[in-house]
Amino acid sequence: MKLSDALARLAYAQVVGPAALRVVRVQSEWQARGEVGRSPHLASALKVAPRCKEMIARHWLEGRYAAGVRKVAWVTSGAPVEFLTALGYFLVYPENHAAICGTARVAVDLCQVAEAAGYSRDLCSYVRTDLGSLYSGRTPVGRLPRPDLLVACTNICQTVLFWYRVLADHFRVPLVIVDTPFVYSEQATDHALQYAGAQIDEAIAVAEHVAGRTLRERTYEAVALRSRRATELWLEIMQQNGHIPAPISAFDQFVLMAPIVEMRGQAQTIDFYAAMLDEVDARIRTGVAAVPGERFRVLWDNLPIWYRLRAVAEMLAERGIAVVASTYTNAWGELAPYLDPEAPRESMIRAYTYPILNRGSGHKLRTMQRMIEDYHLDGVILHSDRSCKPYSLGQMDQRDHLAGDLRRPALLLEADHNDSRCYTDEQAANRLAAFAEMMEARA
Amino acid sequence: VAAGPEIAARHEVMSRHRQQGGQIAAVLPVYAPRALLRAYGFLPVEVWGPPGIPLAGGASHLQPYVCSIVRNALSFLLSGGLDATDIVLVPHACDSLQGLGSILLDFVKPRQPVLTLYLPRHGGGSAGTYLAAELQRLAGELQAISGRAPGPSELLAHVTAEEEADGLLAQLHSARRALPLGNVDFFRLTRSREYLPLEPFMRSARQALALHQESPFGGKALLISGVVPEPMQLLQALDERGARIVTDDLLCGLRRLCPPGRSRDPFVRLAESWQSGPPDSTRGSSLEARREYLLRLVETSGAQAVVFHLVKFCEPELFYMPSLRKALLERGIPSVVIEVDLNDELSQQSITRLDALLEMIP
Repeated sequence: MKLSDALARLAYAQVVGPAALRVVRVQSEWQARGEVGRSPHLASALKVAPRCKEMIARHWLEGRYAAGVRKVAWVTSGAPVEFLTALGYFLVYPENHAAICGTARVAVDLCQVAEAAGYSRDLCSYVRTDLGSLYSGRTPVGRLPRPDLLVACTNICQTVLFWYRVLADHFRVPLVIVDTPFVYSEQATDHALQYAGAQIDEAIAVAEHVAGRTLRERTYEAVALRSRRATELWLEIMQQNGHIPAPISAFDQFVLMAPIVEMRGQAQTIDFYAAMLDEVDARIRTGVAAVPGERFRVLWDNLPIWYRLRAVAEMLAERGIAVVASTYTNAWGELAPYLDPEAPRESMIRAYTYPILNRGSGHKLRTMQRMIEDYHLDGVILHSDRSCKPYSLGQMDQRDHLAGDLRRPALLLEADHNDSRCYTDEQAANRLAAFAEMMEARA
Repeated sequence: VAAGPEIAARHEVMSRHRQQGGQIAAVLPVYAPRALLRAYGFLPVEVWGPPGIPLAGGASHLQPYVCSIVRNALSFLLSGGLDATDIVLVPHACDSLQGLGSILLDFVKPRQPVLTLYLPRHGGGSAGTYLAAELQRLAGELQAISGRAPGPSELLAHVTAEEEADGLLAQLHSARRALPLGNVDFFRLTRSREYLPLEPFMRSARQALALHQESPFGGKALLISGVVPEPMQLLQALDERGARIVTDDLLCGLRRLCPPGRSRDPFVRLAESWQSGPPDSTRGSSLEARREYLLRLVETSGAQAVVFHLVKFCEPELFYMPSLRKALLERGIPSVVIEVDLNDELSQQSITRLDALLEMIP
């Protein structure tokens, strides 16, 4: 690359682009002042939302110009990333990218590209979205940087293993697999933890080799500390929803969770969530409710329906139903106690072995039961997500237990997190209306 | 085509084993250490579905987008189909089997103890150490249930005996072209390894090998890849058309035929053996490894076309399809994908596609 080209790219990535994004953010914040609400049944968007949007847009902007400047790693959402951040990698989360495509409603077009290449419609729609983007070059984020390294951790599903095999075959770059044996009982076995630890050590060695530098313990600890602080803040924000009425909804959390997933070891993430916590606290002090006139409080299980976030939120809010908690957003907060900055290696092993998706259906039911108590919930919506078997299997029994033992209305809502062809508004509206009636009857 | 050796039916074998004081293990796909189960007095009986059973039970626990092997297995268990078994072993081969194991343990809680086995997806040395320890953990559970405590040498004897049986199975596959058995008979024989005790299986295998003919099969030769050759109509249809499956890349077949390990420690030896098995989707093998393996199989077997026989919603298999088919296409080897639900008859459309494939073979 010529020096002039490099300087031009640097100027765009570091000066022009960020300045343009700041203008967009200021405009959004200005417009938000006069906003009455997204709908008469929902509170205004959080004031920090444009800041989050700016952070994410800057992240993708930087990614656009990262190739050749920084080493790039594509990682799964549950992968241990603190060592990668400490080694200076730019991180790309294909799952987050797919979710952006879902909210931008371009996922189906991209899925069809992957399907034309032979990938079955029965495969996860995140995978099909991203492969479609890869094969067509189309993406709402401008351009994805080519990876130097791929890191897949099986703690969320086996799907990522196959997905990253396809990516490794396409890009011809090293693939690191961190295989975390599924925890059927309460505790992982010692040999499973040792196995996970050995793989994290191997992953660090490969990442060092690709990066051409050695991991410095102090940097690693500092990143782990920031990860823990950000995770704690995220958990604290969600816990504020124990307040009645809830200051924010799970839909707000879905929109604002991107930094905790893809930037959790960074200082700006801590600043952002500290500001978000302040705003949530202010809402509680001033009596702002996510759903004005909140009548019922419910739990959302599984990934959101990205392409109908707003529609579902409004549909429920019209009936006075506030979705105040979610097992999905909670997953990025509940591991905070495991993260110990003074023992990053040991704590990472546990933190990355114990995500909700790497544990049994009974554990998830107990998590839901605890959340029902903590958040004073009246019912549960279980999104039966065709594209996420590990999250969805067990939901039918969980629903029966919630409705039976806990006497909470529990709805199984059939959909798909990214493929809108598996969702119909009418059917969802009918199901949600029936659910609302069950809540009314119980009240 | 000659008649294959007589093979006892599954229920007869089970009831005979029980009469002799043995216990029975229902074993779900894909890989389970038969040697360990036998060492603790269990007859391993594999449960690949079974096909064609009422789904009411499973449908109240599992969504319709779960594969029929898992749905049928749960329905079968709930309808009493596994009542004659004493334990249920659910190895971890995919997200659906993971979910089944978890649901059985946490919600269904059948009368039989449910045991699990996590097989590593990482290819490195740490995986071998982990697997040996995981097998040892499983052995501890088997010991607690059975009350038996075989020592290391007894365990090793069981491991080597299984290796010998696998050796015979490998010979059957190698001699496939020279064996005058139709597709249905051949698979009935090789799949009897899924439930027969060692001796009867080895006896049947030797009987079949004795049928070896000097002039090998010269008709249309196919390779079958995928999960399990059910429903059997597929094999019947091929028999009726004079086509022969000369080798397989099936999850229930050659893909889990692993070479013997070398260690004298039975657990390490089992782990070594499993780790050196052929590339496989449920292990998360690389695309390249699977492509090369499949192309080599085609070449060494003389197969002229490939039938991918998939069970609907089988995610591990589906991920590899585009790459495998492309590699075959580049070599000029025709292939077809037939997706089935274990409860459905083989569709006329599938038969038409098979016919089209056979017509492409000179």
